[in-house]
Amino acid sequence: MNKIYAKFMLGVGLILSFASCSDILDEEPRNIFEPGFFETEQGVVGGLTGLYESLRHVYGQPYYYGALEAGTDEYTYGSQADGNFKNADLSIQGSIPDAANSRFDVLWNTAYSAINNASAIIDNGAAAGVADALTAEARFFRAFYYFQLVQSFGGVPLDLGSGELKANTTPSRVSTRNTVPEVYSRCIFPDLLKAINDLPEQSRLTGTVTKNVARLILAKAYLTYGWWLENPNNIPTYPECPRTDPDGKDKTWYFQQAYDISLYAIANPGPYALQPTFYDVHLWTNDRNKEIMLYADHNEDNAVYNEGNVTGWDGSPDGDNSAQNQAVWMVTWYFQNVQSSTVAGSWSGKSPFQRTVKAGQKFSRMWSRMAPIADVFEKAFAEKTLDSRFDATFVTTYPATYQYGTNPPSVLYNANYMPIKPGDFAVSFLPKDPGGIDYSNSVYKSNSGLGVLPGRADYVVALDKISRTVFPGLWKLGIARKGTDYNDDKVSSTRPFNILKFSEFYFIAAEAAVKGATGSQSARDLINVIRARAGKWTYSVAEEAPKNVDNSTAVIAATPATITIDYILDERSREYFGDGLRWYELARTQTWKERCSTYKISATVGQTPTVVPRYIETYMYLRPVPTSQLDRLEGDEAYKAAFQNPGYE
Amino acid sequence: MNYIKFKFIVLLCLISVCASAQNIAVKGVVKDTSGEPIIGASVLEKGTTNGIITDLDGNFSLQAKKGSVLVVSFIGYKTQEVTVNSVQSLKITLLEDSKTLDEVVVIGYGTQRKEAVTGSVASMRGDDLRQIPTGNVTAALQNRVAGVEMTQTSSKPGAGMQIRIRGVRSLSASNDPLIVLDGIPFAGSINDIDPNSIKSLDILKDASATAIYGSRGANGVILITTIRGNAGQKPQVTYNGYYGIKNAIEFPMMNGPEFAELRRQAARTIKDLGLSASPVTNSEDESDETNTNYQDLMYRTGVITNHDINVSKGTDDGNYAFGASYYLDQAPIPTQQYSRLALRASVDQKLGKYMKVGLSSNSSYSLSQGSQINTGDALASSPLSNPYNEDGTIKRAVKSGPTDIYKVWTKDLLEKADDKWMSDTKSFASYNSLYGEVSTPWIEGLKYRINVGLNVRTTKGGGFTGIGVTSTTDPNAPSSASVSNALTTNWAVENMLTYDRTFNKHNINVVALYSAEQTHYDRTHVAVRDLPADHFQYYDLSKAEGEVTITPNNQGYYESGLMSYMGRAMYSYDDRYMASVTFRADASSRLAKGHQWHSYPAVSLGWNLHKESFMQDFGWLDQLKLRVGYGETSNQSVNPYQTLGLLGTNKYNFGTTYLTGYELSQLPNPKLGWEYTTTWNYGLNFSLFGNRLSGTIEYYSQHTKDILLSVNLPSTSGVGSYMANIGETQNRGFEISLNGVILENVNGWTWEAGVNFYHNQNELLSLASGQDNDEGNWWFKGHPINVIYDYQKIGIWQENDPYRNILEPGGNAGMIKVKYTGEYAEDGTPVRQINTDDRQIIEVDPNFQGGFNTRVAYKNWDLSIVGGFQNGGTLISTLYGGTSYLNMLNGRHGNVKVDYWTPENTGAKYPRPGGITSADNMKYANSMAMFSGSYMKVRTITVGYNVPKSFLEHLGVNDLRLYATVQNPFVLFSPYNNETGMDPEPNSLANENQAVTTQYANTGLAVVGYNTPATRNFLFGLKLTF
Repeated sequence: MNKIYAKFMLGVGLILSFASCSDILDEEPRNIFEPGFFETEQGVVGGLTGLYESLRHVYGQPYYYGALEAGTDEYTYGSQADGNFKNADLSIQGSIPDAANSRFDVLWNTAYSAINNASAIIDNGAAAGVADALTAEARFFRAFYYFQLVQSFGGVPLDLGSGELKANTTPSRVSTRNTVPEVYSRCIFPDLLKAINDLPEQSRLTGTVTKNVARLILAKAYLTYGWWLENPNNIPTYPECPRTDPDGKDKTWYFQQAYDISLYAIANPGPYALQPTFYDVHLWTNDRNKEIMLYADHNEDNAVYNEGNVTGWDGSPDGDNSAQNQAVWMVTWYFQNVQSSTVAGSWSGKSPFQRTVKAGQKFSRMWSRMAPIADVFEKAFAEKTLDSRFDATFVTTYPATYQYGTNPPSVLYNANYMPIKPGDFAVSFLPKDPGGIDYSNSVYKSNSGLGVLPGRADYVVALDKISRTVFPGLWKLGIARKGTDYNDDKVSSTRPFNILKFSEFYFIAAEAAVKGATGSQSARDLINVIRARAGKWTYSVAEEAPKNVDNSTAVIAATPATITIDYILDERSREYFGDGLRWYELARTQTWKERCSTYKISATVGQTPTVVPRYIETYMYLRPVPTSQLDRLEGDEAYKAAFQNPGYE
Repeated sequence: MNYIKFKFIVLLCLISVCASAQNIAVKGVVKDTSGEPIIGASVLEKGTTNGIITDLDGNFSLQAKKGSVLVVSFIGYKTQEVTVNSVQSLKITLLEDSKTLDEVVVIGYGTQRKEAVTGSVASMRGDDLRQIPTGNVTAALQNRVAGVEMTQTSSKPGAGMQIRIRGVRSLSASNDPLIVLDGIPFAGSINDIDPNSIKSLDILKDASATAIYGSRGANGVILITTIRGNAGQKPQVTYNGYYGIKNAIEFPMMNGPEFAELRRQAARTIKDLGLSASPVTNSEDESDETNTNYQDLMYRTGVITNHDINVSKGTDDGNYAFGASYYLDQAPIPTQQYSRLALRASVDQKLGKYMKVGLSSNSSYSLSQGSQINTGDALASSPLSNPYNEDGTIKRAVKSGPTDIYKVWTKDLLEKADDKWMSDTKSFASYNSLYGEVSTPWIEGLKYRINVGLNVRTTKGGGFTGIGVTSTTDPNAPSSASVSNALTTNWAVENMLTYDRTFNKHNINVVALYSAEQTHYDRTHVAVRDLPADHFQYYDLSKAEGEVTITPNNQGYYESGLMSYMGRAMYSYDDRYMASVTFRADASSRLAKGHQWHSYPAVSLGWNLHKESFMQDFGWLDQLKLRVGYGETSNQSVNPYQTLGLLGTNKYNFGTTYLTGYELSQLPNPKLGWEYTTTWNYGLNFSLFGNRLSGTIEYYSQHTKDILLSVNLPSTSGVGSYMANIGETQNRGFEISLNGVILENVNGWTWEAGVNFYHNQNELLSLASGQDNDEGNWWFKGHPINVIYDYQKIGIWQENDPYRNILEPGGNAGMIKVKYTGEYAEDGTPVRQINTDDRQIIEVDPNFQGGFNTRVAYKNWDLSIVGGFQNGGTLISTLYGGTSYLNMLNGRHGNVKVDYWTPENTGAKYPRPGGITSADNMKYANSMAMFSGSYMKVRTITVGYNVPKSFLEHLGVNDLRLYATVQNPFVLFSPYNNETGMDPEPNSLANENQAVTTQYANTGLAVVGYNTPATRNFLFGLKLTF
């Protein structure tokens, strides 16, 4: 009996211990992709999706947005600004965007990964039998990101570790920067030319790139490179190199190319077109319209694919919050601090504003990190009535939205104890100061220093007396949504963030023309297409009412006979205010320092504005390589110092 | 501990008695001091093999030579010798021997006599563990063992603690010790183990002891042995139960008048300094006359209760034990609770002379509810707000200032929302081990044993937020629900040969092992929005009308296998000189082919000095043992599939076309291997004055290299990171444990006390080559792993302090003054303003810590106290910093009660309300979150009464003990407790229970956040044996 037991037991032991052991040391992943998947056709196509997704980490990213807007002639830092915005503004002495805090790191840290994936798609695509039209999208992205990098940082590395423009397969902790002409002539130009050749006319999917999208970037790249070759204000480049073109062309050739490509695209727009009015370009119900050529897409229907929550708090289902579109939060003031009174005759404060996306495109979550400089309303937007763009850029009237709160009263008493109902304006920014505005808040305690005019129920603020706390919002990027199931504003914007607009072809061609390019249309002709459209109204954002007016003729009439770079920059601000393009425009034209060295803003709302100087140095035309890059490089201090742009030691 | 009986029989001798002519018949009975018969005591004629064991009534009879000496012994009692003079009936009373009670310790793949142990092993008996009435093993272990640090990382019921044995060594991999349950490496959650089922718990601390677990030994090993029946034992039933109440220790928030004053001061500051900020004014829900305590409205009195019943029996050739327990722990937050039903059974059965088989099975079902609720809204709500409508009904939400709105939660509302707002976790776990053992008749001492472990754990999570339940504004806000299912299965097979033999003074014990095991884990999670009716809860997600979300990060899968060979030889000579040598080789599926096998040697030596002849003059010295050990171990730091590289996925919408994107996120590294820890351990065990004072002193030095790090590549490489083995850490420390019997039955008084004390110094020796620090992760060479990297508050700026305009341009008097580390000009003027270079590396780990316990008994009464202490270190209370938004000092949210600076109160610790901010909070707000970590805390005080046996006999009851316990009665020497009245222990991880969870780069740090409040508990219990 015992022997039987013993044999049985030994048998069981042997079976259990050896039968399954041959394979318990093998690994078979079931919930991850190995890098090898990238070499299949499906992997390549998915890689393209990944490239579009990478746009979200840059465009709509609030700090990068801040880096492009604060410190320009559009925005300064706001009352709730942290160092990200204060440094970028350059108006606090000793506080500058340096290697540790410049938020161009957002671009730096996203671009190379996208470039590497693009190179992998290009390398693997042919082997996997992928159509050229698809790999052309990867070429577009590689060139697109290199173009952003070269504008921001100067020359950047083309070899990521496995050879020039090759997908990197080795963990490389060394890097060598190429020069600006090398980046343009070896990557940006050839990639885009090939992309234009191979890309389709029409988008493969909603929002994917086409020949004309590649043309827009190529035209802009030619224009920018033309300026770089010219270098009118003697701005240093890095790594140092002669301002000569390896391909033997001169600036004139590049300006002309920029002009020609733009005009070709205008004549052959493909699926793209200008919208009938400027209002239509940015109206949230009209997102992804034909004028928008590239955007970082978002939507409100699917939190996972939106990569940002669509209800509740900001954040994302997968925990990576870096893909959210939060740009407009930065430029939204704390309108909810405003108080009305629940009774007339004695002050009992209650906010007329409930923070909710239900309230529409005028109301976004407020972070107040940036405020427009007061000059904006005197210079770029001096003309506010004929040209529709002032109206459809800013929020200057704020209707009461308290009906979205709990137990809302039926009426509130605002300035002069006059009643306001939901939808009545509680706050208005006045284009012109009529005088006599009482900002004392002695009786009507707006809690935000807003002014009162006799006989008006709304609080008023003259636009030339805005402060870092109280300023008009940015209507263009305002958050709104179709669904009515969500009564809050804490999630990031579910609207796409626009990157490229068809209208830029007109501006690029016009700028090239100013720089000497010639052709069928003059700079004035081109600009006037945009201005004519700007004269057309169908709706007034400020008045919240249809307004069918065509001021095209009057607006065109105001166009100066001679278009200058300064005029184009003003016009660009009118067209692209707050789009996150501004610093690049100023840097390309080397006008940042001269245009932005001072600005005006009131210390407190209602006070006479003060002039604030900025401390812009020539070396800042190249942004600092982020500290994380330098920290992770393997090499001595001298090597790291040489990798950094001069001035940021 | 006379109420504990440790009945364990070793059958020393099965040789039949042989009678001779000169022998006389001796009869007798063996009893203990309480008159209970001792079953199975050995009675042996000295110098012969003639002997017998006592029967069920303690009786024995044998033939012995007249004048010979009988040696009567039983484990746990002092051996007695009796001379046989004539035919007589002997009455022998054995005295308990506290020293030999724990003579055998579990050392992994076997047991060893404590006297012969050469590694660092700390043992704890189940009964000692249960002195802390808790459902959680980790809580019971807190402060009990030197070198074993338990940190509370959640104050929710049922939450386990973070266990660290001799510090942390790994940066990104687990620092958790290996747990072994009844011999099988444990693949579950320690919460599944019912403390009632534990017979003993042995902690292997040094590598010479843990090297037998090879690639899993680096973080220490906890061996848990569950209750089994004892051979020869009469059927015994034990019931142990307690019931208690739990009262919340409230977070110290400002009341209405204090908060109104704070708002006034903040408004005044804005006005005085001409700041552009808007002062926070009362909303329509608030008035200066209101004084609402939202914590009072919310908290209930929780209940904690435990019922455990155990039955055991043993015969000569087999034994069994089984039992069941129920445990319930309610938080002071309504609906938040943890309950567990546990079942256990063990059987040992001999099959003939040479074979033995058995099993032990521990299963539990637990239900954790209400974990979604924390105190955030209650604390953030303004005390000036009135939660009641005019008609006396409760408002849905109240505003705190103009911008913030909080849901009102009262006890009633939460209880009513019980089936509309849910977060349930239901776990079933079953851990089973079977063994078969064969002794070889032809080689004495040689045994073959097979252990088979079969384990399964399944967890279902269900979350549901009903229509409008949590919305502050919208009673029709859509519902949401989620379901998760996770399954872990694990099997292990161990084949073991042991040879254990004593030749004269030589004792040899050799073990050889071949084992294999595999763990499989998978998890799915689905979430939906907008269920049209609340009755669906989370039971039918298909009824949802909104988005269905399957988040990649919430899904999981892995399968991991391990194959091992192990050999160990232990030798002792005359119990004086001991040596142990171990070798283990492990192969893991987690490593790339060709790199899978790694081996681990260890050696340790021991010397019992007190057995040397030259020590015999020291009569007061009962034991003096020196130990030294060396070993190599690692932790299974490489996660499955990590050598393969990774293609990251992301999600994108092209309009409404939804696609998945891929990106190369991690490069493959086939060379990836384990982290290696080498440890030297030096130990001294002593026992003095008739074992009245005993203790252990240890010193260790641990060095971990090849630390697994995700090396962040420069962005220009195009790939975020790759995993590599770089970096080194070390731990050095000492441990002292002392146990003393101060009074031993002096006029009925007995007083025992124990204390343990330990210090660990952790240091990061290197990171990736050429890198001295990693600011992003708060890792700094030459400093411990656990540090804070932030500004250090050194005071408050006063009006006339020099250099404020240089150091803090734009600042104000009354703002936080932080340490400046920049240069000074020749005249002593600082050259720049405070910037990020001024952040300090602030250490978190304490200087030393430990625990104490004492017991005073008088006749049938006893009083015992268990406590712990820590000196130094940093306690992070985020309530006082910037991340919880509860110390904003501007009146925007409810504020912790603090003494703040005003022009009239310049000596205050906290800054001027309404002054300079950085984003939403006071500038340098997080510097206010740091407190001294020192404290001494009494964890439990228990008063017990053992009902006299004389009284119980009539009832057929063996033992009855009644006791009352107060848990968490008081705290001493804690600056944090002195200031705040709060518990000086953390309740959250650094990325939980705060408004902003991203500011602490080291998310493994434990902090005080707005989790479930700490409680003070009062319990009554009884223990019954019959």
